[in-house]
Amino acid sequence: MIKLKIRGISLRKGSLALRYSMIFLAGLLTIFLIAFIYTYIFSSKILLEQGRKEAANLTDLTITRIENILQPIQIIPTTLVQALGTPGINEKEIIRLAREFVIESPEVFGSCLAYEPFAYEKKKYWYAPYTWETNSGVNYKILGNSDYDYFNQDWYRLPKLMNHPVWTEPYFDKGGGDALMCTYSVPYYKVEKGKRVFTGVLTMDISLSSFERIVNSVKVFESGFAFLVSKKGKIINYPDLTTINENILDLVKKGNGANTIKAVREMLQGKHGFVKVDGLRAKKDPSFLYYAPVASTGWSLGIIFPEKELFSDFIDFFRKLIIIFIICVFSILITTVLITRRLTIPISRLVEATHRIGQGDFNARLPIHRSKDEISQLTNAFSVMQEELVTYLRNLKETTIVKEKIESELNVAHTIQMGMLPTEFPARKECDLFAMLESAKAVGGDLYDFFFLDDHHLCVAIGDVAGKGVPAALFMAITRTLFRSNISLSIPLHEAIQRINLSLGRENPNQMFVTFWAGIIDLQTGEMEFCNAGHNFPYLIKKEGSVKKIPQSKGLPLGIFEETNYTTRKIKLLPGEILVLYTDGITEALNIAQEFYGDNKLVRLLANPEAKIAKEIGLKLIGDVHSFAQGHEQADDITILVLIFKGTDVAKTYPMENFRLTLLNQLSELEKIVATVENLSSRWKFSARIGMELNLVLEELFTNIVFYAFDDGKKHELLIEFENSGEGIMKIRLIDEGKPFNLLEKTTIDFDKPLEERKVGGLGIHFVKEMMDKVEYERDGNKNVVLLTKKIS
Amino acid sequence: MELIEQKTEKCVIVSITGRLDTTNYSLLEKKLTDLIDNHEDKILVECSKMDYVSSSGLRILLMALKKITMAKGKFVLCSLQENIREIFEISGFTNIFEIYPSQEEALKVF
Repeated sequence: MIKLKIRGISLRKGSLALRYSMIFLAGLLTIFLIAFIYTYIFSSKILLEQGRKEAANLTDLTITRIENILQPIQIIPTTLVQALGTPGINEKEIIRLAREFVIESPEVFGSCLAYEPFAYEKKKYWYAPYTWETNSGVNYKILGNSDYDYFNQDWYRLPKLMNHPVWTEPYFDKGGGDALMCTYSVPYYKVEKGKRVFTGVLTMDISLSSFERIVNSVKVFESGFAFLVSKKGKIINYPDLTTINENILDLVKKGNGANTIKAVREMLQGKHGFVKVDGLRAKKDPSFLYYAPVASTGWSLGIIFPEKELFSDFIDFFRKLIIIFIICVFSILITTVLITRRLTIPISRLVEATHRIGQGDFNARLPIHRSKDEISQLTNAFSVMQEELVTYLRNLKETTIVKEKIESELNVAHTIQMGMLPTEFPARKECDLFAMLESAKAVGGDLYDFFFLDDHHLCVAIGDVAGKGVPAALFMAITRTLFRSNISLSIPLHEAIQRINLSLGRENPNQMFVTFWAGIIDLQTGEMEFCNAGHNFPYLIKKEGSVKKIPQSKGLPLGIFEETNYTTRKIKLLPGEILVLYTDGITEALNIAQEFYGDNKLVRLLANPEAKIAKEIGLKLIGDVHSFAQGHEQADDITILVLIFKGTDVAKTYPMENFRLTLLNQLSELEKIVATVENLSSRWKFSARIGMELNLVLEELFTNIVFYAFDDGKKHELLIEFENSGEGIMKIRLIDEGKPFNLLEKTTIDFDKPLEERKVGGLGIHFVKEMMDKVEYERDGNKNVVLLTKKIS
Repeated sequence: MELIEQKTEKCVIVSITGRLDTTNYSLLEKKLTDLIDNHEDKILVECSKMDYVSSSGLRILLMALKKITMAKGKFVLCSLQENIREIFEISGFTNIFEIYPSQEEALKVF
């Protein structure tokens, strides 16, 4: 997360403060930028114009000064030449006057009157008296000999050729003045035989250094300067003296660009101009050049100054402007941030408080905002929301507590209801019975029941109360109680059912009813009486595996109509036949495709001749229903009761003297052993002492199994069979499916050991061996079988 | 099973009534352990109304005997029913416990 820290205020990315500051800043920057660019262009134009004017003025001034020097130098010789021939003015006088002018005029270096060959005297080929100044004074000599043949020099040749006065290019007058100079040369003529005949020239020499003072006095900005060139480009004056008498065009051609060369060419053509050049000679700073001609001589004066000096003040100004601008921007930015923070701080505080509320701190204090603006309204709205939340949560909590209480009560009811259903199935050789109920909701309305009416009459029943929940469960409990209290062998089954119906119908304000099916089976004969009150027909699985319904007129469910008559039917079960009772929770179980489980699936599942254990049949059916439902919520209670009739032949091999006791591996089952031994002692008439010994031995063996036989913590069944041979010998068989344990392999206790070395273990096994007449052990498959023999008379 | 505790000048008498078996031996275990932890090192267990005992019960009596012997105290049984006495004999406990036929006789040894 980007954070800007300004005076301890943090700006988060995306916060209002930052966003608005940035927008503001962007606007400001755009305006300033436009103003800058406009000012820059405009100002630089003005500055350039000013620079041009200044340069032009300076140039004009300087040219005027130069002309002021040049003019007398042009006038005097012209006047003198014109004066020749007038009375009193001969050539000697001219030379004298010229000499005086040389002395008087500081700019004039020398003067010469040069004659045509033999013009002065017939014998003299060269004749040119020359007067010139040196540091030591004024000198005089006659020029012209074979070394100094002046006829070929520009100062003589050009005026003769052109018949008018001429300024020469700068030259070094070797053998003459021996200095750098320019010469103004005026031709003079004599009239001979009516004809003007060229006779010679009168010259005035000026030293090139004559213009040094004037030209060098020109200063433009820091390093701007003026320079003077001749018509052909020879440098007459330049700050760098070494360049004097060189050709400026040659110089710029060596190191400058095309625009500079072009400017110099135009300059030498005697034009005016103001151009940007890339400096002169080696100096490459972009510069401006102003040039103008010196009219009388055809020379040109240039003024050059670097661009950056023209703009230096301007750039300085802009630099300051930018600094001021940056300061302004920052001030504005800070101000904006402060203002926006002032607006958003209450919002931020509100956000913090809301976070705390969100984390469950419902008493989090909302920030106090005094002004009456939108933020205040927002805070108020939050405050209301907070109160509502607290109230809502309190209500929710109360509702949940109440709901939990109801649920826990329902659970208790469920436990009680399930407790009413018998779960200990009779251990009889004649039959194998299994029943199971799975509630759809915590408390359901299905029921099943079974019990013995006497030694061999087993009564079974199944029912389904319309509706669910606590009322259905209560109705179911009443039905079961009535059933148990009314059924007896002394009255026909349908009469008992009619009585139940009467009782249920009489006090039934809610018009509840229950479908019910009951049967009484004589386990010795297989005969079964049954009566149906509106319940599904049970299935009978034949020995070979075919399945058929046991039909009967359905009759009305119990509780609807008090006067209903029911009928009893009879069939005879054959050994190996299986009776299956169920409720419609099985056939009407839905899967996620909203399909019923249906009778067909049920019949197909039951038609299995291999199934010979009631519990396996029952669990397999319920498992199949669950896998069919594919997780669809169970809509109704599922109840099943399976009875396998094994027949009397099997039963006969077990005389009535035998007794079986099925126990779970829980210590609480111990009392059943006590009760059974008590029961047997009166039945088989053995002494209290034998009873106690049996008790003791069975307790020791049983607790051994409870504590050591199973490691999985689950419930397991174990079986104790008592057999009285009738000859005063009792045999007890104890069967468990726990870990192999041969008690005979236990070492006997050493009774002679002193107390400190005695161990408490092994005592029980010792009792068993001591108190029984015979103890045998065998491992039968996964079962431990302990066979005890005891004389009881 | 029912336990009655009676403090006399000489010792603490614990009377057992009913069956002492695997389901309830822990009650006796707690009773005797509490007494021993409270430095009662003279204990008489009166068994005239105890009509059944299994090895779990015997284990507790043996534990108590060991603890009190180590504490130099005295742990005595009296008034065993005939059947119970037989169990004691079978287990060999008659050799290690001091057993007296009546409470009066037992009290003399303290």
